[in-house]
Amino acid sequence: MRAVSDEQLIEWVAKGDASCLGTLFERYHKSVYRFCLQMTRNTHQAEDVVQEVFIKVLKKAGSFRHDGTFKSWLFNVARNATLDYIRNNKRHKIMAPLDEHNESMLVDDQSAEKVTAGAQKINILEKALAMLPGHYQEVIWLGRFEFASFEELGKALGCKTGTARVRMHRAMQQLNVVYADLNGDPCDV
Amino acid sequence: MSDRKNPSLPFESSDASEQKLWQALGELPQAEPGANLRRSFYNELEKADSLSWGGRIRAWLGLSNNTGWATATACLMIGFGAAQLATENSSVESDRMVALEENIAMLNRELVLDRLQDDSPGTRLLGVHAASNLVAGDDEIAQALLVRASEDRSQSVRSAAIDALGPQLRSSRVGDELMLLLESAESPIVQLALADLVLRNGNQQQLGELLRLANDERLHPDLIQHVKKSLRSETI
Repeated sequence: MRAVSDEQLIEWVAKGDASCLGTLFERYHKSVYRFCLQMTRNTHQAEDVVQEVFIKVLKKAGSFRHDGTFKSWLFNVARNATLDYIRNNKRHKIMAPLDEHNESMLVDDQSAEKVTAGAQKINILEKALAMLPGHYQEVIWLGRFEFASFEELGKALGCKTGTARVRMHRAMQQLNVVYADLNGDPCDV
Repeated sequence: MSDRKNPSLPFESSDASEQKLWQALGELPQAEPGANLRRSFYNELEKADSLSWGGRIRAWLGLSNNTGWATATACLMIGFGAAQLATENSSVESDRMVALEENIAMLNRELVLDRLQDDSPGTRLLGVHAASNLVAGDDEIAQALLVRASEDRSQSVRSAAIDALGPQLRSSRVGDELMLLLESAESPIVQLALADLVLRNGNQQQLGELLRLANDERLHPDLIQHVKKSLRSETI
């Protein structure tokens, strides 16, 4: 069965066929959720934002221009929606405490002995990433998990390709420092 | 199934510890959204697409109080769309049909997974029957069926799940899980369902394992005779 491209589907959505948005939702809602969760640090808020993102996609489908992929446009919408959400919910800033979901991933004193050293380092890395400023978290997350080119990453972030490249470089430098600080040593996972 | 494999940027820094960090980032846990997200999204989509008709159709179908109604309604809505498009002739419409079919298949799969976790044994049984058509090549469905086969409170659901997994017995992961289940199952009905499955679809190793359990008297006494008789007649 030939899969219809994302760009074709969003064009149909723009022409009034909202059911095609269901296909796009099925293709991307998990990725968008993970990105939003990284930024909000709260499962309920992340779900709220994902829903808002796809409703925005429905409303703004007509403004999609074919000068980039649908995916980079979608993540640009997701990024803006997440930033708006964080701005409007000051008590849930980027550095808000981790919610239940994330707490469960962390190692407490009692279970530390049971967890392998590798798993502990992943937990430290997760903490270190969460401690970075939002604009560094987003560039690392999207670059590591969603986009294979700086051009598309730049479009998702709403900046030029070169800017995305520089931002990634600085973000990784900072992550390295924070990780080494938390771990006591640089990364050797 | 829904999201494609994650791409990643090639890492450009020459710093060794940053490179290791980049690799390690790939090991970060990938959270799954809750089931409510899909429901509430389709609810919103339905409102946006057809505010008054959705409620009427739900009420007419008696789905108003069912937790799976959002998914069912979305299937229905897409089904209507597909039927409407089927009457039109153009390559664009054919592409749209493909998209709708893809959507229906995904929603159907989610409905099956929802049903497999329903509180009502009857609904779970329906889910098991529907899952038997989807299990080939779908690890998530196979895993959900294995959970039903090993943990479900209802023996009927467990037996049905075991039957549904039958064709997968020769795949190593499902086969190993089912053989472990055979060793630990206490209910004679579940033991019988598993033994029958092995007798019908098992490979030589699995048949040997079944015979060992029978010889060690780790199966129900009536079942031991059944197994030995069946294996003897097969050998003859």
